[in-house]
Amino acid sequence: MPEKIRIIVNEDKCYLCGGCAGVCPALAIRVSSSRWEFFPDKCISCRICVSTCPVGALSAEPLEGES
Amino acid sequence: MKYDVVVVGAGIAGPIVARNVAKEGYSVLLIDKKSAIGAPKQCAEGINITVFEKYDIPYDKRFINREIYGAKLYSPSGYELELRYNDVSGVILERKVFDKMLAFYAARAGADVLVRTEAVDVIRENGAIKGIRAKHEGEPIEIYADVIVAADGVESTIARKAGINTYAPPHEFDSSYEYEMLIEGFDPDMIHLWFGNEIAPRGYVWVFPKDEDRANVGIGINSDNPKTAKYYLDKWLKENNIPAKKLLEINVGVVPVGGIVKELAKDNVVVVGDAARQVNPMHGGGMAEAMEAGTIASKWIVKALEEENLELLKNYTKEWWEKDGKRLERVLKVRKVVEKLTDEDLDVFIQVLSGADAEKIAGGDYLEVIKALLKHPKVLMSPRRIALLKELL
Repeated sequence: MPEKIRIIVNEDKCYLCGGCAGVCPALAIRVSSSRWEFFPDKCISCRICVSTCPVGALSAEPLEGES
Repeated sequence: MKYDVVVVGAGIAGPIVARNVAKEGYSVLLIDKKSAIGAPKQCAEGINITVFEKYDIPYDKRFINREIYGAKLYSPSGYELELRYNDVSGVILERKVFDKMLAFYAARAGADVLVRTEAVDVIRENGAIKGIRAKHEGEPIEIYADVIVAADGVESTIARKAGINTYAPPHEFDSSYEYEMLIEGFDPDMIHLWFGNEIAPRGYVWVFPKDEDRANVGIGINSDNPKTAKYYLDKWLKENNIPAKKLLEINVGVVPVGGIVKELAKDNVVVVGDAARQVNPMHGGGMAEAMEAGTIASKWIVKALEEENLELLKNYTKEWWEKDGKRLERVLKVRKVVEKLTDEDLDVFIQVLSGADAEKIAGGDYLEVIKALLKHPKVLMSPRRIALLKELL
């Protein structure tokens, strides 16, 4: 099992293009015209969204020690 | 509210479906989450001249920035391949006007159009999908419809919520980044494409002129690359001493370049365009593909409504795969070979190919070209190149 993570967006860098939502295998990201949303319970910690973002606006942070 | 058809997404495919179905007298609602249709775009805006007649779209100067007469390809070491026509072969659009006009044609044909309306989920009743839940300016609305068209772009949310498998692995997407900027020194009547593993891994850098001194300057790279598209574009501009000081727009996006959806219609839900991964996997262009898919989808939606038989929607899957799917699968095969080429290979192929050859390869009609290449001395000297080309036979 990969380390359980949470995805963080840098809102100043994000263009709300929706690409991260498109590559997410688990529908854990929703991008509306004004907002980027993350659903931690759906995330499978694959980090595909992080490497896909054309501008590097996403990062992953460990969820350890929280529940 | 209740419509015969609800279309989610007013990019290219959505408005084409909405227009064609409304024209036949059925009630259609076209929604888009954006407040202004067409912006922001995820596109380099180049399209073949033939689409206007083929898909019954007016050749309206309001959305045509510039007419283009061909393409120039550049290899990593600077070899050039030119494909120049005497007549206009394509145009660089202004998507923020073009998409809006496509929605306007749909509205004029009888469709209702609602912007700032985001589809959130499908409505299920007794296991069947009855419509979609959406938010219009934040207010929840329920839209009931006999047919739901998922034209919601790369995110493909509605198709996925409806149980259509649109998943593709990360390697089957490109990440792209583009400036609209002032730029000089390139023939403004041609589009320009640069290839190379250091320049644009798996993809290319493009200059698509919108004026003599203004262009879309962008890049697409494999989305599973550890570096960003922005990193590679800025590096290319710097290395070529092109000042990026007059930037008019920045556009970013993720483009499906493979993983075409197998099942394009399920019960009363159909998926079209980027949402269905109906994009040319070689160059990442998807507007013409979206128009073709939208045309075929709308034909079967109309037939299904006429005959009150939603089973007929499955014919969209069948016809699309016969017409465009097979071709795009061939192009995907080319992409998978091209991405294995070294910079030296790219230099060789750009030297030995003609412009017409390159066009055939990108279009999926490449058998004769590959056979001819296999006889070329520069290819014959390399068993690896022979093996790569033979993957395409």
